[in-house]
Amino acid sequence: MYMYLPIALTSVNYLVVMGLGLAVGLLSGLFGVGGGFLMTPLLMMIGIPPTIAAATDANQIVAASASGTFSHWRLGNVDFKMGLYLLIGGFAGGAAGVQVIKILRATGGADFMIKMTYVIMLGGVGSFMFVESLNAMRKTKKAPVAAAPAAKPKEKKGGFFAALPMQTYFEKSGVTHSALVPLFLGTFVGVLAAIMGVGGGFLMVPVMIYMLRMPMHVVVGTSLFQILFTCIEVTYLQAYSNHTVDFMLAILLLIGSVFGAQIGTALGKKLHGDQLKILLSIIVLAVTVKIVLELVMEPSILLSYAGGH
Amino acid sequence: MKRTLINFSRYLAVTAVVLLGIASLPVSAAQTLTCSVTPDSIPITFTYHGAQLAITGQSASTDDLVVTITSEPVDVALKYKEKVGGLVWMKKGSLEFRDAPRIYLLQSTAELSRLLSGAELNKHLLGYDALRGHIRIEDSAGKPADGKWFDEYLKFKKQEKVYNIQEGTVVRQHGVEGNTYKVDVAWPYQAPPGTYTVNVLAVRDGKVVDRASTHFEVKSTGMVAALSKMAFDQAGLYGIMAVVIALIAGLAVGAIFKKGGGSH
Repeated sequence: MYMYLPIALTSVNYLVVMGLGLAVGLLSGLFGVGGGFLMTPLLMMIGIPPTIAAATDANQIVAASASGTFSHWRLGNVDFKMGLYLLIGGFAGGAAGVQVIKILRATGGADFMIKMTYVIMLGGVGSFMFVESLNAMRKTKKAPVAAAPAAKPKEKKGGFFAALPMQTYFEKSGVTHSALVPLFLGTFVGVLAAIMGVGGGFLMVPVMIYMLRMPMHVVVGTSLFQILFTCIEVTYLQAYSNHTVDFMLAILLLIGSVFGAQIGTALGKKLHGDQLKILLSIIVLAVTVKIVLELVMEPSILLSYAGGH
Repeated sequence: MKRTLINFSRYLAVTAVVLLGIASLPVSAAQTLTCSVTPDSIPITFTYHGAQLAITGQSASTDDLVVTITSEPVDVALKYKEKVGGLVWMKKGSLEFRDAPRIYLLQSTAELSRLLSGAELNKHLLGYDALRGHIRIEDSAGKPADGKWFDEYLKFKKQEKVYNIQEGTVVRQHGVEGNTYKVDVAWPYQAPPGTYTVNVLAVRDGKVVDRASTHFEVKSTGMVAALSKMAFDQAGLYGIMAVVIALIAGLAVGAIFKKGGGSH
């Protein structure tokens, strides 16, 4: 029942850890998020030091997102071209964000601002998605499934986005954007993710849905594809410079999460795009509430090891 | 000069009496204090989940005993949370806890406060109050921090099970082998690998009259040791291994599900 972890230097119940992997992997396959927002605090709860929890989670997400990307690719849900542009932007944004946070930290009081911005953004995005998908579900109650993504594509086209150079057709997503748009949005999410210390799936998914106007199922697959590469980079860097990746813990987690991602993908296939959106928005809102409660209620223990979200 | 000589001889005489006294202790009080720990080496394997230690030895039947297990003191930095803007709890900064043992387990034959005075407890670093005086807490500017942070520190360490005090749990037996004592220790898996010291103090009439000590080692072995060594000595290779195995596992399971007819 118990396994000792060589880097975390603690012993865990491996059934519990595999169960966590399964649950978070399922969310990953279903919504295209990494699930670090959930996994890192859960790991800390079972006694894993924060820095090791965050780094090892990235390692685990490599497996879950590889598993998820693979099956979404077979379903034709991965827009590699879009993913690549977002990824390039994301890498640049991540590097920039790390510098921004250094400057912010130096000015002091930045943590408060960062946390507040995060809460407001999550709450805003979650509420917007909830209302939007609820309305869409009401409207399309009797409409066939395939009609949903093409509902209102032309409205906000034209204007600034259409005037940009390098207009490119993204076949899988069925949208045309300037290549600069995903590059810029990728950078934007990368900067925010680095500043807030999160993977960015929660921000990237809504950006893809509402700003890039990609169909929900392609959003999930493409997001996973992008998360895969981000987490490969993070895992390697954490292992190389901080020695915070616990390989045994990652193995236990990924045993659960690779299967979870498959189940999530299969489940997602059965759900309508708007149903997926509304479920995701509920989770985003729940996370917002959790963060707010954590901020407002007095913690039982005021000391902690350094690191974590 | 003469006075010095007299003083010196007086000193010698006192020393002799003291030495004689100590030498005669075993005779008068039956036994010297001894101490041993089994096992004296705890291997950490993948199935390690803490260990059961037994500390045994001989002691004078009338003496009270205080048994401690500690490590070398270290300096540790911890993040602390405080209320910001009268509303939200946030990590404000870090506090340095200096000269803090990684582990502090204590068991005794009776309540510490009844065995020794506060001054004696402090001198021998026995009990949380003694630790409170010993561990120095500083903020990032090096200024001493509020005393409430020691209470928080204690809470934190107790939750990790690495600080624990049990009074009245040392078991004593009087048999043919003389007067023996035994202490059972549930060694917490949260304690990191390292060398730990067991100290046994004999207390009589409010004074520590004898002490014995021994060591034991907690050490990673086999694959646990190999993996943690690799993570630090060959960090690049370790990182690549972690990524590659995760990738293979993810893709393999993805492929298996397809073959298993997971899609339709």
